[in-house]
Amino acid sequence: MKESADRVARFVDELLHGRRPHRFEATQEEAEAMTAAASLSAARVGADVPDQAALDRIHQRLAETLDENTVVDRRLSRRAWLRTAGAAAAAVVVGVGLDEVVRNRQESGGAGGSATLLPDSGSWRPVAAVNEIPTGHAMQVSTASLDAVIINDAGTITAVSGVCTHLGCKLQPDDANRKLNCPCHQTAFSWSGKVLYYRLKAAPANLPQIPSRVNNGQVELYIV
Amino acid sequence: MLRNPDPEPSGQPQPAIYPDWESVYQDNVVGIYQLVFRKVGNAADAEDLAEEALMQTLKTLRLPAPVPTVRAYLVKTARTVLADHWRRHYAARDAANELEQLPIEIVANPNAVDRAQRLLGLLPDNFRNILELRFLRGYSVREAANELGVTESNARVLQFRALRKAAELEREVLR
Repeated sequence: MKESADRVARFVDELLHGRRPHRFEATQEEAEAMTAAASLSAARVGADVPDQAALDRIHQRLAETLDENTVVDRRLSRRAWLRTAGAAAAAVVVGVGLDEVVRNRQESGGAGGSATLLPDSGSWRPVAAVNEIPTGHAMQVSTASLDAVIINDAGTITAVSGVCTHLGCKLQPDDANRKLNCPCHQTAFSWSGKVLYYRLKAAPANLPQIPSRVNNGQVELYIV
Repeated sequence: MLRNPDPEPSGQPQPAIYPDWESVYQDNVVGIYQLVFRKVGNAADAEDLAEEALMQTLKTLRLPAPVPTVRAYLVKTARTVLADHWRRHYAARDAANELEQLPIEIVANPNAVDRAQRLLGLLPDNFRNILELRFLRGYSVREAANELGVTESNARVLQFRALRKAAELEREVLR
């Protein structure tokens, strides 16, 4: 027991210090304890959020193997690329071009401003039964072309984009605090899509509103 | 960016499509990293295994492909990659087999913090105390031993027994 306890303690120390654990031939009991230790290590707030350098390395190695003809343009950082792609994805939802998103951001004071996107084409699509969303709750929905969050605020149904405007991470509803949390960089948005707080160098843009309505007991979103 | 190649004027929306590997990467890299991290507990292994899962998936699947198809394949691949990791580096055959048999929806469950809190809440006090001190408050074994009034050696044994109990509870109660 003592030897096993010592080996597992060393494994735990390595996890908690952020080091790659040493390899060894574990007994079944030790392996059980080690898998539980891995789960608990991941449960520390922020521990399982990858840093930018790790994502860049993964991207680089994938590019080298999968796309031999692609010259990775380092002038366009992945962060910038994702931010642009996220804005473009939001634009697709409501049928506006990326240039219009940029224009709206500029008009509203840049990042941190409120991008009001108006659809110019598309159709109303049902995404959930209205009775699936009790008062005071937010619900994630995904369709073919978007991730959104539907909110029932005292009987009023609204919808915002369900992805963070920073890196495109999927937002997690926090009903108790009436906010939407980004799991990637400790950013949170209100139910209306406004940035509540962030731990980034610059404020991310507010979440785009998605046109919504209730029709025959169904929540419908306006989607291209 | 996801796109819909043949939008229908009415009826059910078509599944979204990943047009290329970049779109798969963009949409899934953080999620697959977190999924893997929950099973290895450290960043270095998580980075390697997330990359391996993405690489295997992207080499195998022919793109464009529907989003649900790609995601399901990616999670299954991650499950296999994780099982191989535990088998290869720790000879942990049973843990690996168990991991391979986990339903996809459990493997992909993102609520690591909630699950850990529930798990800790189910443990006897002495087990919960040592794990909270070590994992949530970052105490060393020595500091935890001082806090609990036991020797360092006993603190290591207590931690080992607590982790085994946590593994048992996770297997039997939380799944």
